[in-house]
Amino acid sequence: MKILTRHFDNPKLHELETYRALGGYQGLAKARGMAPQAVQEEVKKSNLRGLGGAGFPVGMKWSTVPPPEKAPERFVVANFDESEPGCFKDRVLGTRAPHQILEGLLIACHAVSARWGFVFIRGEYADQYDILKKAVAEAEAAGLCGDVKVRLMRGAGAYICGLDTALLETMEGKKAWPRQPPPFPTVVGLMGKPTVVNNVETLSMLPHILVNGGQWFADIGAKGDPARRIHPSGGTAVYSVSGDVERPGIYEFAMGTPLRQIIEAAGGVRGGRALKAVIPGGTSTPPLAASEIDVPMDFDSLRGVGSFLGAGGIVVLDETRDMVEVSHNIERFLAHESCGQCTPCREGSEWTTRILERVLEGGGVEPDLANLRRVGENIAGKVICALGDTVGMVVRGYMKKFPEDFAKRLPAKPAEAAR
Amino acid sequence: MTAKRVTFKLNGVTLEAPEGQLVIEAAKAAGVEIPHYCYHPALGNPGNCRLCVVEVAGAPKPMVSCRTQVREGLEVYTDSEPARRAQASSLELHLVNHPLDCPVCDQSGECGLQDYYMKFGRYDSQVREAKEHKRKRLEIGPHVMLDQERCVLCTRCTRFTEKITKTSELGIFGRGHKEFVDLAPGQRLDNAYSGNTVDLCPVGALTDKDFRFKVRVWYLDQTPSICADCSRGCNVSLHTNTKRPWHDEGRRLARVKPRHNPEVNQWWLCDEGRYGFKKFDEDRLGRVMRLIPYRRELAWETALDELASELRRELEALGPEGLAVVASGALSNEDWAAFKAFFVDALGCKRFLFAPQPDQLGIEDDLLRRKEKVPNLEGGKALGFGSAVASLSWERLEADLEAGKIWGLYLIERDAARFWGAKASALLSKPRLVVWQGPWKGRTGELAHFRLPATAHIEEDGHFTNFEGRIQAYQKALEPLGQARPDWSIFEGLRQRLGAAQKAAR
Amino acid sequence: MSHSLSAEQKAELEAWRTYYPYPIMGLLEALRCVQGWFRCVPPEVEPHLAELFSTSVAHVHEVATFFPFLTRKPAGRHRVGICRGLSCAMAGSKDISRCLEKSLGAREGETSPDGRFSWEEMECLGACDHAPALLVDERLKGKATEEAVAKLAENLK
Repeated sequence: MKILTRHFDNPKLHELETYRALGGYQGLAKARGMAPQAVQEEVKKSNLRGLGGAGFPVGMKWSTVPPPEKAPERFVVANFDESEPGCFKDRVLGTRAPHQILEGLLIACHAVSARWGFVFIRGEYADQYDILKKAVAEAEAAGLCGDVKVRLMRGAGAYICGLDTALLETMEGKKAWPRQPPPFPTVVGLMGKPTVVNNVETLSMLPHILVNGGQWFADIGAKGDPARRIHPSGGTAVYSVSGDVERPGIYEFAMGTPLRQIIEAAGGVRGGRALKAVIPGGTSTPPLAASEIDVPMDFDSLRGVGSFLGAGGIVVLDETRDMVEVSHNIERFLAHESCGQCTPCREGSEWTTRILERVLEGGGVEPDLANLRRVGENIAGKVICALGDTVGMVVRGYMKKFPEDFAKRLPAKPAEAAR
Repeated sequence: MTAKRVTFKLNGVTLEAPEGQLVIEAAKAAGVEIPHYCYHPALGNPGNCRLCVVEVAGAPKPMVSCRTQVREGLEVYTDSEPARRAQASSLELHLVNHPLDCPVCDQSGECGLQDYYMKFGRYDSQVREAKEHKRKRLEIGPHVMLDQERCVLCTRCTRFTEKITKTSELGIFGRGHKEFVDLAPGQRLDNAYSGNTVDLCPVGALTDKDFRFKVRVWYLDQTPSICADCSRGCNVSLHTNTKRPWHDEGRRLARVKPRHNPEVNQWWLCDEGRYGFKKFDEDRLGRVMRLIPYRRELAWETALDELASELRRELEALGPEGLAVVASGALSNEDWAAFKAFFVDALGCKRFLFAPQPDQLGIEDDLLRRKEKVPNLEGGKALGFGSAVASLSWERLEADLEAGKIWGLYLIERDAARFWGAKASALLSKPRLVVWQGPWKGRTGELAHFRLPATAHIEEDGHFTNFEGRIQAYQKALEPLGQARPDWSIFEGLRQRLGAAQKAAR
Repeated sequence: MSHSLSAEQKAELEAWRTYYPYPIMGLLEALRCVQGWFRCVPPEVEPHLAELFSTSVAHVHEVATFFPFLTRKPAGRHRVGICRGLSCAMAGSKDISRCLEKSLGAREGETSPDGRFSWEEMECLGACDHAPALLVDERLKGKATEEAVAKLAENLK
């Protein structure tokens, strides 16, 4: 099932004329014929959940914005700061279908009565910035923006900006130190005004929901199972597949599609090698062992197997990969991107990285594994944002599922050596 | 509007607190210490040190008590096993890259890391990695030294310069584990309140240039006092070094720290008040002296006898019109009472000068500093020594001295000779009697007939009334130097000698 | 080296100040401009930005030192990045790093003596489908091969 990528075979999709000819901007027209409240209801019905990683129901998020009488100025921000290792679907969506993002942004603006719509895009996506800028100019010239002013802003190389409150700090001209909710951005956001931050893939879904109806979208996705605390996830998700696969790229599937099917669509493990592990949602999500890939890809099913859907960045690891190296790569990234605000994360992410570094260099000692576990646990739950929690979760995930990779890099325990 | 009071449980004890009060404050009020670095009541609760974590019943993870509000039925544990473990593990992460250079660190003995380790840590180190290195021994201003390696990045100092002095000299630069506190390019930490950053720093990152390496803090005694350097009356603590007199060049007063008083100075003290204390050990009057007609040291009793009899003689011959008294507002309320009993009630003196010399006014700002550089003009005013009673101005005094209208000039702490400069000898040679009384030698002390050493306020108990009319007590921190005695006892000694006869002269 | 701003440059910064609903929101884009002009954010320019955006120099410097795109030392006229994210590391980005050092005549994070190039190992560039991903002057150039990197110095003027 394809929604966002349905017309990706059309090389001119990024142009306004083509996009409109394929039905573009009909969702916006329909939304504008509805009361904002009605748009929110339709989106609630669709079970659309935030595809940037949080999985929060979009309609519910919007409904927490205070009414315009209470706060006349409000903002919508499209989060195009895709930086999670393993994720690149937003880049492709922005390259191929910038108007789909823009239309979604304008629908969201209407749904929460905002007169300013922003797109925050990572600086390294300079081509996508140009494409989007052109799309905005086209839409403005065609009168599609109405009374909404659209403004783009570029980042300058910080992963943490992808987190909504850090992104808002950055947009306010500050360093990206996450805020500590409450209050949540929908109440006190950009410059203290109610602000909705939605990922660009999430926004891209909106035109289709408006045109085809929320029920249609809900029917496509995963139904959910309240007994197992699995909530419904509407529609599809666009997965970035990379690593040891034959055909890296983006693949769109309905929510709830088994991970195995997505990997097969990408041609399976490269070179006919055996599968060792799969990272399901970007490198911040714990790995799944080869035996676990029949899990349905939706927010809550993955939680059930100790990982996360994240932003759908699937990284395939074949039998030759060493999990100490893999976890070191990820921990080094997290330490580099820790904003430095909370002490446990700032110090703990670096400490974790350096322990792994020493283990990799052959200087590992027996207490290192317990210590890695302990340091991670000591950060978790004690920091402002999720990055710190990730530090321990990642290394624990690899140690738990691939203990032999860690054990072989440490000196044998005296008892074993004597045997 | 006062907040509704609610009941909540702290470590199993039911307590009352205003609804919405931060748990860390409510605990403090109940005498329960929760370790913390970034939180400071004047600087807010950014919640970045993550040390003040506590267990809250029903919460899935530890909560920072600096951002958790008291509400009806809240149940908080600061000393449960999970709370203690959370605090210890946060502390451990603060110490991963700390240089542990306590033996050469001036903060030793009053360091947040040392103290909390002993109270909340006590774990065995698991660190096998080398420490991160950052810059050390940076002179970032006239009073403050920075060691970036010792910094725990609590951002108190940067928030102080941003929010309190609004000078923003400091910032946290870089990112993640590479970040460091430093001056912004082109800046120096030279605002009038820079020393407060040293107090705010919970560790040895910011240390006092003046105090560094002088004496270990555990040798110091602390005495509550009032800063006498302007009319604000900031509450201070005097840190005196009498146990190791061979340290710090023999200085008895090692440093001055602000004492919290929400009504007067909050937590702060200006640099002038903080670093002006060396004067208490410098250029002091030690001996009772008579310089004219010839120079000799006197016992107090002799000096008071001689001075009293000369005052009586001149008063009877020339009347009180020719007696002028110049006093600063450095007198205590006790001094002022004796001053009044002696000069007004006993001598009938009518000519007073209390105004500071025009060059003695300081800078005033909207934080603490006042332009009157003396602590207690108000105490005098309360006894009637306001501007209405001060029948002299500096111009008038000078003119009357030149015209020979003044037979006696009694100067208390106001160093008129220094102000008059080259004219001083000529002017002070006119009266038959010139008395200089105060803690310091001063230029006037060289030209007076009598030189009476008085105690500095740090050497006596007393009260000052600040510019808002607030009466504040200070305590004796040190023994008087040499023969110095309180001003009031000098006035009282003279009054008793002049006899009851003058009492009726009013 | 003089780091004074020309009238045109000042006008461009002013344009960012007024582009968003609140002036301070233009600071990051303004810093990006400065980085583009001087290939770094010179401390001499920070007071101007602080004044323009009604903030302190400390604030400007905090932002300028937080984001890796903004540098203290001048980057090369061409700034090259090789991704070291997991997928790119697995695809051999370390080998490309070694080629870059040889081809551009500079060590990682440093600028070639002639000022033409600097190169950095960067965190995930969002191009794991073209691992190892190469970035030249903020533009993604697809999969980096040893051959392409060897010719990079010639191809960039």
